[in-house]
Formats: sequence, C-alpha cells, structure tokens
Amino acid sequence: MSAHTLTCAVDVGSTTCKYVLCDNLGVRVTQAYERHYTRQAEKVLEFLRVLEHDFNLTPGRDALLMTGSGAGSIAPLLKSRVIQEVVAVAAAVEAMHPDVRFVSEIGGEDMKTLFLTRTGSARSRQVYMQNACSGGTGTFIEKIAAKLKLSAEALSRMRYLGLPLHRISSKCGIFAEADANTLLKTGVPIDEIIASLFEAVVLQNLSTLTRGKTPMPSVLLLGGPNQFFQGLREAWLHHLRTMWKERGVSLDGEAKDLIRIPEEALYYAAMGCIQTVSEGDGRAPVYRGTTELARWIAEGRELRKREQGGTALWRTAEELASFEHRYTRTAPAPAAPRAGCSHAALVIGCDFGSTTAKAVCMSPDGELLDSVYALSHGNPIEDARALFATIRERTGAAPVRALGLTGYGKNLLDSVIGADLAIVETVAHATAGLHFFPDTDCICDVGGTDVKIMLLRNGAVYDFRLNSQCSSGNGAFLQGVAERFGIALDDIAARAFAARSMPRLAMGCGVFLQSDIVNQQRKGWSVDEILAALCAVLPRNVWLYAGGINNFAQVGRKYVLQGGTHRNLAVVKAQVDFIRSKVPEAEIVVHPYCGEAGAIGAALAAKRSVGAGAKSRFRGYRAMEALRFKSTTSADTQCRWCENQCQRTFVDVRVPGGPGRPRSKVPLQPGWDRIIVNNSCPKGLIEDPKEVKQVNEDIECGNGAYPDVGKLAHELAFRRQAARR
Amino acid sequence: MPKALSLWSTHRFWLGLLLELGVKPRNIVLSSDTSEAQFRKYAKGRVAVETCYPAKCLSGHVGQLLLGQRRPLDLILCPMVYSLPSFIAGRVQDTLSCSRDMGAVESMKSSFLDEGGSGNGRLLTPLVSLGEPAIAERQLAESLAEPFGVRRRDVVRAVRAGYRELREFDSEMRDRSMEILSCCARQGSPCIGVLGRPYHMDPGIGHRIVDTLQRQGYPLLWNQYFPKDEALLRWLFAPDLKAGFVSDPLDISDVWPASFSSNTNEIVWGAKFAARCPWISCVVRLSSYECGMDQPTHTPVQRMVEASGTLFFKFGDLDATKPSGSIAIRTETVLHYLAERSESILSQKRARLPPQCPLTQIQAEVG
Repeated sequence: MSAHTLTCAVDVGSTTCKYVLCDNLGVRVTQAYERHYTRQAEKVLEFLRVLEHDFNLTPGRDALLMTGSGAGSIAPLLKSRVIQEVVAVAAAVEAMHPDVRFVSEIGGEDMKTLFLTRTGSARSRQVYMQNACSGGTGTFIEKIAAKLKLSAEALSRMRYLGLPLHRISSKCGIFAEADANTLLKTGVPIDEIIASLFEAVVLQNLSTLTRGKTPMPSVLLLGGPNQFFQGLREAWLHHLRTMWKERGVSLDGEAKDLIRIPEEALYYAAMGCIQTVSEGDGRAPVYRGTTELARWIAEGRELRKREQGGTALWRTAEELASFEHRYTRTAPAPAAPRAGCSHAALVIGCDFGSTTAKAVCMSPDGELLDSVYALSHGNPIEDARALFATIRERTGAAPVRALGLTGYGKNLLDSVIGADLAIVETVAHATAGLHFFPDTDCICDVGGTDVKIMLLRNGAVYDFRLNSQCSSGNGAFLQGVAERFGIALDDIAARAFAARSMPRLAMGCGVFLQSDIVNQQRKGWSVDEILAALCAVLPRNVWLYAGGINNFAQVGRKYVLQGGTHRNLAVVKAQVDFIRSKVPEAEIVVHPYCGEAGAIGAALAAKRSVGAGAKSRFRGYRAMEALRFKSTTSADTQCRWCENQCQRTFVDVRVPGGPGRPRSKVPLQPGWDRIIVNNSCPKGLIEDPKEVKQVNEDIECGNGAYPDVGKLAHELAFRRQAARR
Repeated sequence: MPKALSLWSTHRFWLGLLLELGVKPRNIVLSSDTSEAQFRKYAKGRVAVETCYPAKCLSGHVGQLLLGQRRPLDLILCPMVYSLPSFIAGRVQDTLSCSRDMGAVESMKSSFLDEGGSGNGRLLTPLVSLGEPAIAERQLAESLAEPFGVRRRDVVRAVRAGYRELREFDSEMRDRSMEILSCCARQGSPCIGVLGRPYHMDPGIGHRIVDTLQRQGYPLLWNQYFPKDEALLRWLFAPDLKAGFVSDPLDISDVWPASFSSNTNEIVWGAKFAARCPWISCVVRLSSYECGMDQPTHTPVQRMVEASGTLFFKFGDLDATKPSGSIAIRTETVLHYLAERSESILSQKRARLPPQCPLTQIQAEVG
C-alpha cells in the first residue's frame, strides 16, 4: 500500500510520453500516451496540468515518479525520482506476468533483452541493452520501409512466414539499406525484402543481446515495432520455436501461445515505477507542482542550451582571421583553356568515381591547364564520352601525349578509351599528394559518398581506410542536411562561421545523427549553429568512426586534406582543430586542387609511364564520340560459379574486330566486345563452363608456381591420417 | 574437434594424438572452416566473447559439431590451451596462448551447457599446457583416459605421438618455405611475407586477402613457417650477431622484452626475419578487430619492417564481413608498389648482408 493518496508515473521516451496514475491501493485511475514530437518538457507539463485539473493530482500530497530516456533532464525540475526504464519494465513484468522468463523490447533507437530467472523465492534479472547503433531497432525498419515507399499501415500488415528470405545485413541500417536496394534492383518483391528485414532484426537481437543464454518460455515482446509489425512477431515465433526445438526446451503448450504481446505494454515502464516503489517502503518523492518546469520551459532552457553547448568553430575574431588567411584557397586557377591552345600535347588524367567523373588536362611540364567535371550517369562509358567531348571542345582537340585513368571505372574503360595507364585510386591520390607535398604522411580524402584515409610511409601507401557504406562523415550527408535547410553547398561555410555557439552532436551512426539534428533544432538551436555543429562533428566521424584511427602519433605529422568536402572552409577549420588536438605539431594543408587530386595523380603517373618519343594508346576523340555500347543486368547476367551469385552487369561495346559472344545467354554479335563488371573474383569474368575449367587450372597452376605456404598448411594440416605411417 | 583458435597451430598434435589413441580416421570429425553462414546457423546468440571475432566463432564451430551432424558425436574435444609449443621457446619469457583463447572455451561451454542443453556430457574441455610437454602429458592423461576408455600411459604415449606429428608437420612446412626462398634467391625474384596469427589461415577469419597477391605471381610465406635453417639465419642475422644485439638469430629480446605470448613472439620474430630477408620485398600484416594481443605490436612491427626498406601493408580490424571493395583497392595498391619497387628493395636489402649467401651456395653445390 502506498503512503500517498495518488501516485503518478511518467515515462518520457524517445518518441512518446506516457503516464499512469494509481490510487493508494495500486489501482489504476487513468493512463494515456501521446507523441511528443521532441517537445518532451512541454508534453510532460501538459500531462501534469491535465492530471491536476481532471484527476485531482495534488502537489504536496501525492507522489511523482519518472522513467524513460528523456526523464533525466526533466525529473530534477519536478523534484522527482528517475527509475531506470529497464528496471521499471522488469518490475512490471514480474508483477503482471510471473511466468515470463524472457523479454525483448525493441524501441525506436534502442533494443533491450531481459532474462528473468526464479530459483525458489530468489529472483534474478539480467539485462542487455544496445543503443549505439541503429542495427536491429525500429528506426532500422522504418528507414528501409521509407526507402521502399511503404506506409506504416502497409508495413504493419507485411508477413514473414512462408516467404523466401534474402540476405540483409543486420549490423547497420545503412548497410541494410544498400542490401535492400540491391535486392530491389534485382527484382525481389517488396514483401520478401521486408520479410528478410524482420529476419535480420530478430537475428540481430538474438545474436547480440542474448550472450549465450537461451530465451526460455514464456516470452514477452514489448515496444512499438514488436507491437505493430505482424511480420516481426512471426519472425520471433519462427526463431524461438526453432531454437526451443534444437535446444530441447520442453514446452508447456504451443510455442505460439508462449510468446505474448500484451496490449498495455506501452505502459509497463510507468507501471513498473509504481510497482518498484510499492515493493520497497511505499514512499515516493512528493509531487511539488509544475512551477519550476513551466519556468524552465519559458526561460531557463535557453540559458541551459547555451551552457551545454560548445563554443562555435572559432573563439576569437583574430583566430578566425588568421585561419582564413592561412587556408583560403590559394591554388592558382587553371589557365583558361582556349580553342586551339598553343599546347602541343596534353597529358590527361581521368577519375571515374561512383558519383562524379573528373578529368584534368595538364601540360607535359605538369602545369594544370583545365579541369572538367561531370556528374556520373552510372555508366562509366557514357561518362567518359561526355568528358572527352568537353575536352575536345575546350582544347580544340589538342593531341594527347599520355592518358591515365583511376577510379572504379578504370578497368572497364582501360581498353575502350585506349589508356596508357590505369592505376588504383590510392596510388593516384598518393602521387598527386606527394607531387605537391613531398613529405606527406597522411592523405584524408572526404568525397561526396566516401571517406578515404591513406597512410603513407617511404612514399608508399601502407594502410588505407575506405568507408563507402556508412554515410557518417561524408560530404553528401552535410550537403543533404544543408539542402533540407535550403542552404546552397557553397554557403555552408559562411553560415557555419556565423554561429557563436553550437550544440554538441553525437558522433557515429548517420541515422541517429539525423534524428539528433531534429532534436537540437527543436531545442531551439538555429540552422547556422546546427551547421557549425555538423562541421565540428565531421572530423570525429571521419577519423574515429569511419576511419577507425585512434593512434594519431603513428599516423605522422603532415596531413593533406582533399576531396570536394574540403572546399568547405568550416570543415577545414574543424579538421585542423581536431587533428591539432591529437597531434599538436601537425602540419595540415589543403590540396590546391581538392576535388581533382585523383585525376591529377593519374595524369602524372601516365606521363611517367609513356616514355619520351613513345605514342599514347588513346583511341582519339572521334573514336570516343563514335563509341556505342549497351549494358545488361538481368537474371541471365548473374554469376553462377559459386554460392555468392554476384549480380554482374554485361557492358557490350562496339569496337572494330570485336569477337562477339554468339553462344552467351545474352548473345553478342561479332564487331562487339563484352566487358563484365560487378564480379568479385576472376571466375566472374567467365560465361562459358569450359572457361571455368581453364581458370581453375590456372589457379591450380599458380599454386604450384607461386605457392602460398598458408594455403598449403590449410590443405594439409587437417588430414585425418598420420603423416609418416 | 572445432577448427578454431589454437587448433590452427596445434592441429597435427591433436590429430596425431587421436589416431594414436585408436580413433579411426573416419570417426574424427572436424568442423568446417569458419564462415558467416556457420556462425548464423549454429551460434545463434551463443556468443562467447564480444569483440574478438575468432573467439566468438568458436560457438559456431562447436554448434556445428553438436547440432549439425547426421549422427550425434560421442565426444567433442575442445581443449583450453594454456601455452603453446613454439620454435622460439627457451629464448623468450614464455609461450602462453591468448587468455581469450581459454576464456572463449569456458564461456562457450557455459552457453551450451547451462540450460540443460544438448552438449551435456559430450563436451570435453581439458586445460592443457602444450608449451610444456611433461605437464601436458599429465594434464591430458588425467582428462582423456576415462572418456576414451584407455589407460593413462596410453594417453601419455599418444601425447608424445602428437608432438612428433606436429614437429614433423611444422618442419615440412618450413622446408617448403625454404624451397620457395631458395627459388626466389636463384631467380632474384620477390615474395611476400605474411605476419598474422595462425587462425588467419582460416578463410573465414583471414578472408583469403592474400589470394589475389598470389594469383599475380607472388609466392607467400607465413611467419609461423618461416624457415629456421641454421646457415640461413646466421647469414641473415650476421650483422646483429656481430654487433652483439642478439645472442642467437631466434632471440627477440632486443625488440620485445615482454615476450610472454607465443603467437605475438612469433609475429615479432617474423617481422625481424622479413625485414632482413632480401627476397621478402613486402610484408602483409593481418590482424583481427580490436585484437588486444596485436595492439602493442603494430608500431614496433611496422617500424622494423619499414626501416629495412621493405614494403609494409596492414589489413587490420578483420571481422565477420569481408569488405570486398576495400580489399580490392588495397591489394591493387600492394601489387602496384610490389611491381614498382621490388627490384630495388631486393638489391638494397641484399647489399646489407655478407656476400656469401647460403641459399645460392646450396644451389651451386647441387648444380
């Protein structure tokens, strides 16, 4: 029995607020839940006023308890006590469902499991929680559903049982999105993709949050996603049933009856607070009224926001001026190219990236004459044709002395364009970096969609970090946020520098960063302040999160920043401050040609590779214009040589003397040549089974000619007979 | 037996022991190589240790043996290996295995047994100090005699057979490495030295990263099986011996005083060897995600290798996913520098050593 006439418990979650009001016997008087649209304090105030007015909640007499992820900042204003939400949920479950041994609660941005054991009168609770990554949470599901343009309504009705499943990464929402995209492109129906997603969520929960324990019946599923998505519940049923069978768990009834989704699950945390108190001495903090909360909402919040935030990207005007003086782009603009320009020959370098294609024209002396930039249309041949048409027009079809390629499209285009050299991106960037800054230790390239960090020693790239699957830290993310605020890319820096203070954004998962931004905005931070915060968090995401670099002393002291994102001075400022905080003596320079470094490296390397007097293999501008191709991605182009079943694309190009492939599943006439892309191993370049035999023989032959002792040990070490018997 | 962790360096010991105990070859079942599918299907939440992927995978291997067999197995032998046999034992402080190695067995066991699960009675997890044969004999005699229905002295005999088998295998692999090096020496061609832990030979842990390098015509030597031919080592370490930095070529006390961990010691020695061996123009370092044992070795190993002018490339933080895109770019990078620099690296490193090379001498004698 409670010592108070009424006891109220408020649960402040990441998307909704809930309350429960009980009398002194623990009987529920009323309850409600509403979305707070990130205005948590306002919603709590509104709730309390309703409770005072309609249900006679009385300051000084009754009690107030709080729980939930948002309770921490509000409870002190109400002089209330916070009960950890998992503890609260466990108390409610134990009181209401004494037979439950396992609870899974999937929230918007977290997931928890709870193991309840009972030995005689002793009870124990073991809680596991994950809230650092979106993998396996409600956001994870909703993000992909949004991508597939599914309404919440439709999603809630999607099924799991009986549908074919596909592989979807359960580790990260962004990886999963890429998987879902691929499945969609290959024609997998949406219901199968969603079923696979439910599978991924359950597997993620089971594999990270059970830590070797078996979830024993009865099982309770809590949280929005478990409650609302039928398919998710089916996936749980399937996996738990299989697991119980495999592990010989004896069931007291049908498996489906042992997995329950209580209707009032939403209120369990709030009810658990009251339960926890009543299990103790029945005393809870006395409700002191809403005055202080109301005052804080009106005035104090603004003050606290400033206190909690950090200084902006700069401290003093002098500091900013000196930074701008040092880092404002000083690169000489490329000489304006003229039609029929006097340069007898061009050295051309092209960088075919995943989102853009770039080319630079240099003089044989290494002077940058012109650069051409085009958004990628997804097919490197088309991109190449466009680039060369522009170069031809701008240079008056100047003769080409050497041509180098880099970027993911380089292998495909190598023979089609007639390049003198195709080099890997790392080497191209290193060549360009070392050309301008010979003592470089580290090149940090932050592009639109990927982050590359190249660590150099003795003039060679010894380690390389690439993060192209996680949006955290890349330029597109920054640009995307700016666009939503209606700010042009070129204006981001000025706006970010205008901020005098800024909120602290959380490093890490891009999915959560997005929601954090919305939160900060609701807290009253301005667009400029948020942009400053985003620039400030970028280096942490680039180096620590995406790059996984912790030991900066090992990296070295000279850093080159390049990639289009470093055209933004606010980002450069944040980078400089961050790197200096790790390596105080660091020298940090911005590449004079930020976005073109890859293409410049390719050009420089190509120039070196074509000896004096030798002729370039470039097919010529006319041949480029006449280039005809078609590409096919279908079930017929899928690789069948191993279980990976890579979805290849056949790019067929018309070239004089092309051999054609008349017997292919996608037949090709003579006069055409086929380039196979998106394969992940040499076998993927093959269509004819006879060729596979040849490749296998070649691999075997290689094992003999260039042995790998590790592979040999692997083959011989597990023989089931003694060696010399 | 689960093909996991220490089994990747002690395989022949255990197989030799089982065969000597009279287990028929067809009755010895090994789990398959590590794979994501194996982990997904059989580990299902029976996660042993959180961050160390190779340790985590043990649950998948044991799960496969417990649940994935047509006929249930009589015994699953999953030893907790305390120390390891090592070719540099005696010159180092100790040859301990990683503590996670033992911890993984213990926590895997509890996850399969705690809840009256299917592993009861069949899972045998003896603690064994393989680095000290006399102790190992006693430990295994105690733990294996009864389950195998043999006398203790039969187990002791089998343990000795196991050690013999392992020694023979290791020396066979070293011979192969020696042949490869001799061939490189004759042809003046480069090869690659791989520095990693034994389980990086498992395609599911090492992700076959070095395969592409081999396909492009570079032989690969792994530090566990670097040759220890006396004449070769005396030649490679001649300057160090002369300067008194080390007392013998297998000594690592000059660079690694805290030499307790067996695999770490061997990696460090491997780095010294690779830095000196002229034909190893490039070192590839493999390391799994957040490996606490590897962590302190990264800088010294890299510095040693780089100081000699040898190319050094690191593939770190390996875990369950094979990042194909990033691996492809890195291997292409490695190949670029190998082609560009091997020749000059080889001649620079060769010039530092005494003129008379035992590898080419052997060839001259045979010829």
